[in-house]
Amino acid sequence: MKTKTQPMTILATLASAAMALVAASTAMAQEAAAPPVTPAAAEAAENLAYTKCQLCHGPQGHSISPIYPALAGQKAWYILEQLQAFKAQTRGDPYARGMMWGIASNMSDTQMAALADYFSKQTPFASEPAPIFGPSAADIAQGKSIYSEGISATGVAPCSACHQADAKGSDQFPRLAGQHALYLIKQLRAFHSGSREQIVMNGIVGPLKDDDMKAVSLYLESVR
Amino acid sequence: MEQCNWFQLNAWFQRCAVLAVVLFGVMCAHPAQALPLFARQTGMACLACHTNYPELTHFGRMFKLQGYQLDDGKDLEVTTDDGKQLLSLPAIPNLALFIMSGYVSLGKALPDSNIPGAKSFKDGIQFPQQVSLLYGGKIAPHFGAFAQLTYDSLAGTFGIDNTDFRFADTVILPNKTKLTYGVSINNNPTIEDPWNTTPAFGFPYVPPEINVPYAGLQINAGLAYQVAGPVFYALWNEQLYAAFGFYKAAEVGSPGNPITGAAAPYDSASGSVPAGLNPYWRLAYEYDFDRYAFEVGTYGARFKIYPGAGNALSGLTNNYTDVAGDFQFQFIGEKNTATWKGTYVKENQSLDASYALGGSNATDWLSYLSTDFTYWYNRKYGATVGYLSTKGSTDPLMYPSAPTLCAANSCTGIAAGTPGAFPVGVTNSANSNPTTNAWVTELNYMAWLNVKFVLQYTHYTKFNGGTTNYDGVGRNARDNDTTYLLMWFAL
Repeated sequence: MKTKTQPMTILATLASAAMALVAASTAMAQEAAAPPVTPAAAEAAENLAYTKCQLCHGPQGHSISPIYPALAGQKAWYILEQLQAFKAQTRGDPYARGMMWGIASNMSDTQMAALADYFSKQTPFASEPAPIFGPSAADIAQGKSIYSEGISATGVAPCSACHQADAKGSDQFPRLAGQHALYLIKQLRAFHSGSREQIVMNGIVGPLKDDDMKAVSLYLESVR
Repeated sequence: MEQCNWFQLNAWFQRCAVLAVVLFGVMCAHPAQALPLFARQTGMACLACHTNYPELTHFGRMFKLQGYQLDDGKDLEVTTDDGKQLLSLPAIPNLALFIMSGYVSLGKALPDSNIPGAKSFKDGIQFPQQVSLLYGGKIAPHFGAFAQLTYDSLAGTFGIDNTDFRFADTVILPNKTKLTYGVSINNNPTIEDPWNTTPAFGFPYVPPEINVPYAGLQINAGLAYQVAGPVFYALWNEQLYAAFGFYKAAEVGSPGNPITGAAAPYDSASGSVPAGLNPYWRLAYEYDFDRYAFEVGTYGARFKIYPGAGNALSGLTNNYTDVAGDFQFQFIGEKNTATWKGTYVKENQSLDASYALGGSNATDWLSYLSTDFTYWYNRKYGATVGYLSTKGSTDPLMYPSAPTLCAANSCTGIAAGTPGAFPVGVTNSANSNPTTNAWVTELNYMAWLNVKFVLQYTHYTKFNGGTTNYDGVGRNARDNDTTYLLMWFAL
């Protein structure tokens, strides 16, 4: 008699493996940098946020144009890791190349750590208005299903296994809740095409169709 | 413990194979390549600010309104012992050079200005058409500039071009929304505006300099570089924009005063001199969603102008009131970029001074409609279709029906009836009406982000009020069509 393994079990196992891989790489990244944030560095970072970062991301991390990611409440380790990747030119999606490579090129480790700390402490999206041209209920439902349960037919692991059920991230996985759908779908496509290199995400999004990416992005934007 | 059968193992194998391929791809990926071009101050690619020059993206609009401040942190800084910053200047001057060269062919050659019945060349090359030296960017914290000096090959001179000095700051309001405010001191009404619907940076971006001129509105470059003034503005939440300012006559290229022999305030030796302070206003709303940016707005100005040119700069003025509406719909995708935009301006003219001098009706009006759709593929291949329409009231004094008269060795200052004078037409209107309609189509090829080739064709369906024989001397509207090939380098 054949014993049928539950698809969810396989997906959960995949997700666990991914978590372990990311945890290891994240731990290494954190170990490599993150100088302490002194009061002077924190003040300088706030000044930078108000004079430079705000142009796209808003002074308190609430970007208005959906092209740019909201940073308010994002995990500090993740922001730091991305800034380091922009500076090292190892994050290669188009907007990273076109915009952040230049901006981060002269940032010091202290500035990056202080900026990451600053934006992580901002309140995320508490009062952000929903987009006028919002998603349909069907998109949200499909996205929620992918996020929470994955897609068993094509072996897509549930996003929530890593990014948490509430999508607010953790010490190893970035926050996704409330992020602009346009930014998320661009990143998913970049992971899919390989222009943004991230071993785990490059593999996980492989079976995702464009409609799936769109649905899960729209769902995450709606999560407050 | 659950058991696995072959099919599940096979599925696992497939997933592992996919992962292996992905990992192999990651390991074998080429090292990140350098950006094709860095804007000198920000370190960003041109595409951050422009869909294609000079059309701005949302980011470009914010960069402009916030005083051209953003940089990559490579500043020269001077700080006092107690930490007070005295200087924060870009380490490399943000200088750039524009070089434009063009070839223009008219639909039909112009009449020769000296020999009756003879014709001019049908085409002309401008090499260069224009060379501009630009400074763009941060001067100091909160202070920035976009300043342009341009060599005009037809005039053979260097002159001041679009220039915009700014102070800007951004604050957070109690309701956590963002407010940017500032002041732009500039020399061309609407240059402070960040959308490409208003005249200073509106379509067509680079018209051929060899062309047949027709009536234009004051706000539509009528006073460009002849005025200067402050425009105060505020932008709320990157959405709602309001601006208000004043322009006063600026003495650019005016001759020295005949009495003192040196520079002096304007007098009657100059023509068309703006009087006093001339107000300008602007209100616009932009909404960004997904990859789209939609803008709708209104703008306007009121100008009082002394005719001068032998008449005292006092007493009656010609008064122009311009009121406009505009919209822009912009889509910026990964490979496809499209913009549809337009503006309509109505100018009411109360020509008290000219009427008293017998040079026009007491009142006239002009209107200007411009709309264009542009598509770019991969930011490399672009195509544009646009429509321009100028309409206005009939005024035999302003738009004379009698053909321009020329005589041997001179085409200016020859009065009707002068022996040897002959009619050339071209710029006059047989029915004394300025209505001119044209279709403008463009093919663009951006070989590099800083190397652009433009092939533009302008077809006039009506010129100075007529389609055929509009000047009464046999010239048709389509004879003024232009085929224009432009080569544009930015260094």
